[in-house]
Amino acid sequence: MRHNRIIHFLILYISALTILFAIKHSLGLSNYVIPAFTEIMTTANRIFPIYFRATIESMIIAIMGHMLSIILACLIGILGRINSFVGIIIKAGAYQVQSYPVVAIAPIIFILMGDGLLPRLLITSMICYFPLLLTFVGVFTEPVPDIEHFYYVTNTLSWDLEIRIRAYEHQKKILTVIEGSATLAMVGTIVAEFLSAESGIGYQISIALSQSDMAKVLIALFLIGLFISIYLTLLAWILWPKKRPTP
Amino acid sequence: MHTFKDSKQLTRMNIQCKNISFSYPKKQQIFNDITFEFNGSGFHALFGESGVGKSTLAQIISGLQIPDTGKIVNQSGSSQIIYTTNQERFPGWQTIQMHFDSILPAHKKEDWQHMMSLFGIEQCFKSKFSQLSLGQKNRVNLIRYLLQSHPVLIMDESLANVDESMRETIILFIKEQFPEKLFIYISHHVREICKYCNQIVVLRSVIHSPQTIHFKGQNLRNNHSIDPDKLKENMLEIVHAT
Repeated sequence: MRHNRIIHFLILYISALTILFAIKHSLGLSNYVIPAFTEIMTTANRIFPIYFRATIESMIIAIMGHMLSIILACLIGILGRINSFVGIIIKAGAYQVQSYPVVAIAPIIFILMGDGLLPRLLITSMICYFPLLLTFVGVFTEPVPDIEHFYYVTNTLSWDLEIRIRAYEHQKKILTVIEGSATLAMVGTIVAEFLSAESGIGYQISIALSQSDMAKVLIALFLIGLFISIYLTLLAWILWPKKRPTP
Repeated sequence: MHTFKDSKQLTRMNIQCKNISFSYPKKQQIFNDITFEFNGSGFHALFGESGVGKSTLAQIISGLQIPDTGKIVNQSGSSQIIYTTNQERFPGWQTIQMHFDSILPAHKKEDWQHMMSLFGIEQCFKSKFSQLSLGQKNRVNLIRYLLQSHPVLIMDESLANVDESMRETIILFIKEQFPEKLFIYISHHVREICKYCNQIVVLRSVIHSPQTIHFKGQNLRNNHSIDPDKLKENMLEIVHAT
């Protein structure tokens, strides 16, 4: 069911909100800490168009960063396959860089590049790039002997055919990591905006945080969750046609 | 009768395994100083019990494995000996027809279509490999190898899961249509080996010395017959040798 993700998100969001209100009432917290439901609705009414536009902006950057990462990871994976020495360097480098928190590098990017589309795109790509790269490098260097054997013994195995065979045989792995890294792309965008940008939903959250306005944060979370669910649903629709089982 | 366009003149072929020793890393030795040869084109066999190392030896002959000591002398007119197993698959995105069109030149289209029909799999043209039965898979796989120009082909259980009468049809067809080639057939059917093969090398485990024994098979061809008593005698010899 393609719309399952949206339904799951709505159930999760409503459950979290219910737990939050239950905590508020059981501990007797004030509206300043956890706003009343009516206050959340009033705030939503007031800021929804601004937050909606901000979320769309963030989503566009997340999608662009995600696509950029897929293309780059695929190209580097292919490059790594063609040249085994480059492949070893890429694999080792990717493992090393992946273990380093990108969030810690993000301020350097903002200092060097300032605010704007490019640094946000770069941080987004960096956050979702490495899982993709590791998968692509892994897939393209993993032989499929029962298919490749014929081409190998008849000297007809070209590099592009080899890549095609391996990509086809490991398509579930590739599609799963593409789907999985979509969430990371959105996380990357929000982190980048939260840290230093002057627009986007991450930036709106940072303002809401400085105002200690929980209602705004809850509305931002609702929009982020909803947009991620829609994006994942669309991705699943594109990547996993009906007859293919979802992983 | 369909004639194959690439048929060549008979040439004297010879494949020699000289003093082959081999062990897998950190495992017991499986070949110790094996020496034998297949002389002349035709249908020859490598026979032995399961796990004795037939496939490994076939891979050594075809250059896919490097022996610890010894060498393969290939006097077949081609530097490469090709090896096929019943474990192979076609690319998943291709139908059988698409695959043959992509790997074989256009002038061989009639040949493979004729072979598909003769091998009883003409209904599989539009199917994907994954949709075929095991026997059908082995037959389509064999066809693509038979139509390669390489003069030596090792067929490792290539006709497994194919019924006996169809196996006979296929083997006799191969012998008739490709007399210039040398085939090394690996099978567990002792009767089949004795009936259709010319030279039979029985491979035994490393504890035996010598590790290989040579036999002459009945080498049945189309429109010929064999003496059933000689066949039985031949089978007994081979069974005793293993």
